[in-house]
Amino acid sequence: MSQQMSVSRPFLRRGWRAWFQVRGRHVGYIAFALNRLTGLGLVLYLILHLMVLSLLTRGPNAWDAFVRLAKSPLFLLLDGILLFGILFHGLNGVRVVLVSMGIGVRRHKELFWALMGLAALLLLGGVWGMWHV
Amino acid sequence: MRGKARGVSTTIRWLLQAATGILLLLLLGVHMVANHFIAEGGIRTYDQVIAYLSHPVIWTWEALFLIIVTFHAMLGVRSVLFDLGPSPEAEKKINLGVAIGGIGAIVYGLWLLSQLR
Repeated sequence: MSQQMSVSRPFLRRGWRAWFQVRGRHVGYIAFALNRLTGLGLVLYLILHLMVLSLLTRGPNAWDAFVRLAKSPLFLLLDGILLFGILFHGLNGVRVVLVSMGIGVRRHKELFWALMGLAALLLLGGVWGMWHV
Repeated sequence: MRGKARGVSTTIRWLLQAATGILLLLLLGVHMVANHFIAEGGIRTYDQVIAYLSHPVIWTWEALFLIIVTFHAMLGVRSVLFDLGPSPEAEKKINLGVAIGGIGAIVYGLWLLSQLR
């Protein structure tokens, strides 16, 4: 049913350290581990995002000072990493839902690579947009 | 019987996770484009944020996005923690923790949005 079902229970019982043991693993395993890591990263970002948005209650000076900081190259790099996390987690999630519904089960590897190709294109477009908008 | 009920609730949680995930593609997509790709300079100034959120449809859209993304995130955190094999007692604490964290984030976010109307 869920993506976890394609991953053995003993693996899950080994804890989070197993997520990083990717040598010799199949694509589904790496996708599962990366999905978890990007998901947790996005939860952390959500918390930080809500904290930063509280600057808006302090008025224009506080917020606009943050806006200037957010346009620095370091922040743009972090935005690129964030965009990668969103695209991987979102598009891999689409694959998991489709396969769970019985769509593309036999060609799930091709589906994964096609969606990752789309993610790469959107990432390139997004990063280009960040530096040029 | 209890195991069957647990199986049904696991299925419901999975369906909710999938449904909110699909919904997020739309909500997050619009949020990202409107706030970071259309906005001049990639991020709105204070005056632009206030003007943007003054539209009731946009305010409602952002509030819905906040609720759905928090719900999806908390279900995900719960799923990750449960996969680590906690004891039944720890499972109860995890359920309570994600419920409090999720409700707290939504209440805080809605309060924040209400300040910017």
